[in-house]
Amino acid sequence: MRSPRSPRAPRAIVLGLVVASVLAVVSAGLAAPDPTAWSPVIYPMQRLPLIFSHAQHLARGTPCAACHAAATSSRSAVDNLLPTEAACLPCHPIDRAQPELVVAGAPPVACRACHPGYAPDVPVARVYLTPPPLKFDHSAHRAAPCETCHGDLRSVGLATTQHLPTMATCLRCHTSGGEVRHCADCHLAKLGGLIETAFDHGALVPSHGGLGDAHGPDFKNHHTQEARQRDATCGACHDRSECVACHQGVVKPMEFHPGDYVRTHAVEAKRGKPDCSACHRAQSFCVGCHERSGLGTRGETEFRAGDPSRAFHPAGWATEGVGPNRHALEARRNIASCASCHREDECLACHSAQPGGPRASPHPAGWRGSARCKALDRGNRRMCTRCHIVQDELGCDWSAR
Amino acid sequence: MLRACIAAVVLAAGLASPAHAYEFWLRAQTIGQVYQLRDYRLIGPDLFLGRRRYTQTLALRIWDVGDLAAARRESHLPERGLRISWQSYLRIDHDFGTYSSGRVTIPLSVSVKRDALDVTPELGESVASLELLYGYLELTGLFDDRLTVQVGRVLADDGWGTSGVDGAAAQLAVPNTPLTVSALAGLAVRASSPLGLSAYELDGTSGAACQELVEGPTPGSGTWKLIDRNRQISNNRLTSDFELCPQRDVLQPTVGVALATRAIHGVAAELGYRRTWSSTAGVIGPVDRLMYPDLGLYPGLAPGSGVDEERLWARVHAALRAGELAIAPYADVRYSLLHAAVDRADAGVRLERGKHSLEPSVEYFLPTFDGDSIFNVFSIEPTTDLRLAYQRAGALAVRASGWLRAYHHEDGLASRAGGADAGVERVFSPRWRGRVDALWDDGYGGRRIGGSAEAGWRPARTLWLRGRLITLAVARDDGGTGTAARPRYVTSSAVVSSTWRLSDGVALHSILELDDDATHLQYRAIGMFDFAFAPEP
Repeated sequence: MRSPRSPRAPRAIVLGLVVASVLAVVSAGLAAPDPTAWSPVIYPMQRLPLIFSHAQHLARGTPCAACHAAATSSRSAVDNLLPTEAACLPCHPIDRAQPELVVAGAPPVACRACHPGYAPDVPVARVYLTPPPLKFDHSAHRAAPCETCHGDLRSVGLATTQHLPTMATCLRCHTSGGEVRHCADCHLAKLGGLIETAFDHGALVPSHGGLGDAHGPDFKNHHTQEARQRDATCGACHDRSECVACHQGVVKPMEFHPGDYVRTHAVEAKRGKPDCSACHRAQSFCVGCHERSGLGTRGETEFRAGDPSRAFHPAGWATEGVGPNRHALEARRNIASCASCHREDECLACHSAQPGGPRASPHPAGWRGSARCKALDRGNRRMCTRCHIVQDELGCDWSAR
Repeated sequence: MLRACIAAVVLAAGLASPAHAYEFWLRAQTIGQVYQLRDYRLIGPDLFLGRRRYTQTLALRIWDVGDLAAARRESHLPERGLRISWQSYLRIDHDFGTYSSGRVTIPLSVSVKRDALDVTPELGESVASLELLYGYLELTGLFDDRLTVQVGRVLADDGWGTSGVDGAAAQLAVPNTPLTVSALAGLAVRASSPLGLSAYELDGTSGAACQELVEGPTPGSGTWKLIDRNRQISNNRLTSDFELCPQRDVLQPTVGVALATRAIHGVAAELGYRRTWSSTAGVIGPVDRLMYPDLGLYPGLAPGSGVDEERLWARVHAALRAGELAIAPYADVRYSLLHAAVDRADAGVRLERGKHSLEPSVEYFLPTFDGDSIFNVFSIEPTTDLRLAYQRAGALAVRASGWLRAYHHEDGLASRAGGADAGVERVFSPRWRGRVDALWDDGYGGRRIGGSAEAGWRPARTLWLRGRLITLAVARDDGGTGTAARPRYVTSSAVVSSTWRLSDGVALHSILELDDDATHLQYRAIGMFDFAFAPEP
């Protein structure tokens, strides 16, 4: 056992470290670009080594289907709907044998007009476009104008993922009220019916798309309202076992109970923040550990209620009265704290109406005739008999109290 | 006889139908933990209690039993029509350490040594347990996709807690209305249930009926005594030999019903009701006036049954939009009919614009217990919290929150508690990320100030490494409650963990933790095989 150290020096060091770390992380973050609003998992990295202007083509009145002919019949998101050279040929008389060809009065036909950096003996850079991991049926949406989902392209050159619909775009129509949402209608499902979230290029995580399930910072520790929603979408991606594994778990979650939590938990437990009862049952989990670690009353313990030098609670703790060194105040403020060590029979040693005992009433002021008394008496009178054995004392209207 | 058996087997094989292979999803975790807990001592160094825990979990989903939806699934069409599935989660947990299997000394007039489990029956849930946290057969898509039925050990949730019920649950979308009706009926899962667990039980029942009334000479003059304290010790290693609590073993019928909105754009609401009750253990027959004392409650003194829980709850969440601003107000309230009081309530609104969100909220809490608990009639004071939280999403994620709590004292002694915490997380690259957090809180309960710094590194595609430093200065406000409880101290902790993906879906996790406060040093090591590993984002 080492001698206690002064808390001042470590505190200063810690404060310095924390401030320095915050500054380092923030400055690095400000210097780096933010990701786009389009999910890089749904629309992974793409490479479009092309020169193209939607604006020019649309200005000439070219319909979308003229180039994207397969779009109106496509039933899968895997379909490649990008126009190939064949789609360009009707207007652009391309001649591969003459890469520098210029045709008077005709739109550009030279290879370099569309392929930047084209050189005759160098392979043309390929288009790299990963299909989104979605189910999508273009043909089922053909009644809607293309710009409904892809936006107005009349001023756009080369279209990118920024012109593909986000989930918020879908929800503009698909929350009209008449239909039930099934996540797997659009997202890929894996064995067992859960949505596939793990991809080689990242993990799919709900964003601020409008379903109220965005996984913000520290979501693991702060998801009460998202989970409490009646239409919560948790079950689409998460098996119920993930919830109970943590909330009724047997392994200490390090992110929630960090470090020496066994030692430091007293402050949070006394305050009831976070809500311990979300995962722990006081009268089995807390009592068991407190008893076994020598803080209880049943087994061998260093504490002796009658010995002031070895008392857990201050002198006079169990006596009547209200004050900072009386148990009444603590019990009223946080009875769960009492219940984490004491069982009911210990309370009943004094708080019972049985003859011969102190008959100390634990009831709040105005108990007799109160709605709470009547409701409890009506609902479960056997609890009342723990203290009131005499028949005349039962109920909430007796006058002997 | 042998020929008859062979003929029966051949006949059975001949009649057998083709085997079906169903889709299933399985997640198994094998967790080994070795660590120590302190056994506090006022004189000399603390002793340590060893915990050597083995935990095995098995989550199972068997999907589309009977291949009823296979055709639509293979055509990539949305699932419709009857689908049958099975979902369950089984857990085996055992502690080989001295924490649960050791012996303790009872300080009687002549000290005696007893098994820790006999002295502290609550350790029973740590010694050895085989628990089915849920397991039900689900039929969905019935009645034109309007009805879902679950049969087995189902979960019940009122927004503030989850419990288990052995029975059935059904959910029906009411035709031509945007409403759903849910119903639930069965027996509440208790520690004494087959494959049961105590975590689902209502709190406050530990000592509710571990005593029995010993009749006195006249009705009303009996006294409560512990049950069977001196009976023969069977020395069972897995259960307590000294405690008998019949009330904890009785069945608890449970019914529930809820009415909720369905597919109303921007609004989701629910109104629910649940009731759990149990028959009274220990009610004796007519007063017999024998020379030996009767054990139990006199007729008429206690009812044949009592309510353990009876609650109404309501919750409503909305999602509105004003230009670029997303507005999500919510309100939840739970009313205990057993206590004639609101025991939980909160309300707030989340405002989001781009990556930024702000959430002011208020929360009310009145502790309530199982209907058998005497804590229900104690003077208990509720609390009200005011909270304000901010978040910024993105590669540079920021969160900050502050809270203020008021304790409503009936004696006029006001007290407050409050605090703030903030954190910044930055993803530097696909391989590196960092995070720092800080917190301060003060008021009733004590004061804490501290922070943590964390870094994650992925040096290879199959290896993740993480490191974390935590320091906390604590000043408890109950410094006078015992010489062992030092009121002020600083505690630090370093955690290093790794995840090594052995093959697709299989990983080995390891955690090494070093805790250090002013007088103690503690190590902890955890190893875990994960057979359903999916990298975190």
